[in-house]
Amino acid sequence: MDEKNPVNGYNVHTLKDRREMLDAIGLSSIDDLFSQIPSEIRLHRPLNLPPAQSEWELDKRLHALAAQNATTRTHLSLLGGGAYEHYIPAVVPTLTARGEYLTAYTPYQPEMSQGILRVLHDFQIVMGRMLGLPAVNCSVYDGATALAEAAWMACSITNRRHVVVTEALWPEYSQVLNTYMRGRNVTVSVIPTDAMTGSMDLEKLAGSLKDTPAAAVLTQTPNGYGVLEPIEHISKMCHSCGTLSNVSCYPMMLGCLKAPGKQGADIVTCEGQSLGLALNGGGPYLGVMATHEDNIKFLPGRIVGECDDLKMEKALALVKESREQHVARDKATSHICSNQALLAMRILVYLSAVGEHGFQKISRLNASKAHYICERLCELPGVRRTHTGHFFNEFLLDLPCETAPLLVTLQKQGIFGGIDFSRLYPNSDRKLLLAVTETKSKTELDRITDVFRRAIAELGGVIRS
Amino acid sequence: MKTQSIFPKSRPGVSGASIIDADFDTGPTDASWFDPADVREDSIGLPEMSEVDVVRHFTNLSRAAHGVDNGPYPLGSCTMKYNPKRNDVLSTLDGFAHAHPRQPEPTLQGLWDMMLELQEFIAEITGMDFVSLQPAAGAHGEFAGLLAIRRHFEQLHHDRNIILIPDSAHGTNPASAAMVGYQCKIIPTTSDGMMDLDAMEHHLDQRVAGLMLTNPSTLGLFDENIQKIAEKIHANGSLLYYDGANLNAIMGITRPGDMGFDVVHINTHKTLSTPHGGGGPGAGPVGVKAFLEKYLPAPVIRRIHGRAAPDDNRPMSAGRVKSFFGHVEVLLRAYCYILTNGADGLRTASENAVLNANYMRARLADLLPPVFAQRCMHECLLSGGSLKVNAFDFVKRLIDFGVHPPTLVGAGCVHFAKEYDAAMLIEPTESESRISLDFIIEQFRRVAREAAVAPYMIETAPHTTDVAKIIKDQNAWIQLLEATKY
Repeated sequence: MDEKNPVNGYNVHTLKDRREMLDAIGLSSIDDLFSQIPSEIRLHRPLNLPPAQSEWELDKRLHALAAQNATTRTHLSLLGGGAYEHYIPAVVPTLTARGEYLTAYTPYQPEMSQGILRVLHDFQIVMGRMLGLPAVNCSVYDGATALAEAAWMACSITNRRHVVVTEALWPEYSQVLNTYMRGRNVTVSVIPTDAMTGSMDLEKLAGSLKDTPAAAVLTQTPNGYGVLEPIEHISKMCHSCGTLSNVSCYPMMLGCLKAPGKQGADIVTCEGQSLGLALNGGGPYLGVMATHEDNIKFLPGRIVGECDDLKMEKALALVKESREQHVARDKATSHICSNQALLAMRILVYLSAVGEHGFQKISRLNASKAHYICERLCELPGVRRTHTGHFFNEFLLDLPCETAPLLVTLQKQGIFGGIDFSRLYPNSDRKLLLAVTETKSKTELDRITDVFRRAIAELGGVIRS
Repeated sequence: MKTQSIFPKSRPGVSGASIIDADFDTGPTDASWFDPADVREDSIGLPEMSEVDVVRHFTNLSRAAHGVDNGPYPLGSCTMKYNPKRNDVLSTLDGFAHAHPRQPEPTLQGLWDMMLELQEFIAEITGMDFVSLQPAAGAHGEFAGLLAIRRHFEQLHHDRNIILIPDSAHGTNPASAAMVGYQCKIIPTTSDGMMDLDAMEHHLDQRVAGLMLTNPSTLGLFDENIQKIAEKIHANGSLLYYDGANLNAIMGITRPGDMGFDVVHINTHKTLSTPHGGGGPGAGPVGVKAFLEKYLPAPVIRRIHGRAAPDDNRPMSAGRVKSFFGHVEVLLRAYCYILTNGADGLRTASENAVLNANYMRARLADLLPPVFAQRCMHECLLSGGSLKVNAFDFVKRLIDFGVHPPTLVGAGCVHFAKEYDAAMLIEPTESESRISLDFIIEQFRRVAREAAVAPYMIETAPHTTDVAKIIKDQNAWIQLLEATKY
């Protein structure tokens, strides 16, 4: 047994260590350690995996895989749809890569975790200020699960089992919502948008609220067409029916626009990716949730709060754990255990690094660049904005040609020209959703416009009236 | 020194970022962009700091934190093994970090190739037929796996709405089951630490959709009745769910699929060395036997016309559980870990994990007698009942000597029955060398010696941390829960 010294991977023992340790246990071989596992279910062969790789071979392999991907660095990208290419200050990855943070567990031992608890506590404060509501948890998995968890929260708070949702959610969000609601026996009804403005059809909403008492109306702003929703108005309509106003927002807009929590929303959620998280091919991102103090006991996930230590001095710890799965088990507000703590830290570092004025400026740059290129593109023959409602940095265009070949032509010129809208919503031919962030210079935006012009001409777009 | 919040350090007018764009530096918001009623008029309340002050703030806070990089972390059931640095570097290459999930599919071939391969690796390690990488964490994997089970019985028109769960299970098990719409029936543990088979059979009827089992269990024991359990569960038409929290103990030795499990989730931070980040992000791949494959969340990655690509066309799927494809950055680390280890390395990891736990169990037996007579797997449950001080105080003193406390009742994600009140769940993991294990053991002994002569030093520990002992009364919370009854 064990004749060869294991050198693969991360082995820490010499053969001599192993033998002496077995002696201390009173066993003669490593196999004896597993004798309680019946032979019939033992794997009597090595796992069928590639042979162990040296660090340099691994390095080559991962670089080769990475080289198979185009990125927002190899192409000029106008892609959005819930994930955005924003600038990330170098301090963000540098500080969050510190081993004290990166390799720690959930701060179950608060005395030796005050640093992490402080970070998470400040994260809760900063996101409370951003979203306009004071009670914030330490994050959930992503923007979509935040929306779904908030919907269930509203059901628990109101004791109703019906929610109303805008049709203009990101499609993944509505799929996740349906998955989460099905098991809880919550019905979901969908409110269409106004074809002209692109925002929620408020008459239809009023009708729906009258028909069936709803726990919440779930609004997304900007919505899936990039159009900003009238949160104050929607919230008032909700409150007159004892319904909560749940808003899922894009936090980058909050440098220009009022926080939904200050406009009457009861639970505000967001996808935090735009605040210092890399695109990462779709994850990990994080969901943020904020609500009124009164609703804390319905929040899912970890909450950091102040408590006293033995010397009666202030300290931080995970609090209000009676909501959570390790205490309440099947009666917990959610099953969430691991959340996205390190990414919450990234957000706090990001917002601290750019600061109040920096953030407001970045937010404005997004809006101003998006409005600039929207105007330029709408000057092209046959191109026009689909909706009249206000937008932040993402907007939907009607095209004079098919969307797919246009995107192929643009891609050949090194441009990801936006999202073919028929990939997100059915019956949306000849529509293109574009997002513009602070990362694009005027020169780049002008070049993109130029390539659009030539591509549309080449494709011989039929010009609409 | 106590930690400080960042907000009082704000000095308006200072900025740590370079945000310059001469072409668009327009100043205030253009009135035509938005509805005037929506335009922000006040400030948000973000701190304003120079870059160096930001760096010092977070660097100093990190000194009041403890990771695997700092020292031993024998936190039972959490598997705090070493997080390789090469994985940090290789998971953040530009080709992945800056890839947008809505890029045209052919421009992400490296992503699909990696994911397909990782699905296959995890399927091989767990003995399952197919794996989805979409779930964001272990609990999320449970959710996706239970959704598949529910969908399976819906298709069969079987009205099964009960899930059996042993009392030693992680709290996430019953919480996930409730989210899927299942009722939970709790199965007790026998005095030898095994799930009570008679009690299981008592509950086993046509309403039972499945049993969720962690094997080895959170008590550190391999359930030797597993074949019998699988047989009875399947004979009843129910399914067997594997909580992979403790898969670290058995890689290359036995596989959940071979034990008879139909669904498996794993926690990449426990099994495949991804860092826990002070509470996430994790990843919770879920594996199933072939007959459940069609119910996995959409999309899955599969080979389509000879190339790996996401497949969204899944009419039987139990639904999507999160946006996009999964925690790519985390999954890349898991992928690197498997490639670095190969079959031998993974087996060695499990061997060392079990060796280390048994070594600590043997060496501490006189001080902390094992709760169960049989040998442990990757973690050992030891009784603190004969200590001169209470176990809660005892472990806090370990902090002063550089060792993270083991898991105790109410201290973590594990739910213990009342009989194990003074018990400690110790999981050294395979990353600790013998020298390190001897160091940990010596710290336990040192605290025990101190308990005999200066118990007040223990009762008031820790003494070297930023704050003194914090007492969170778990019972108070449980009472509150019962009072509020939500």
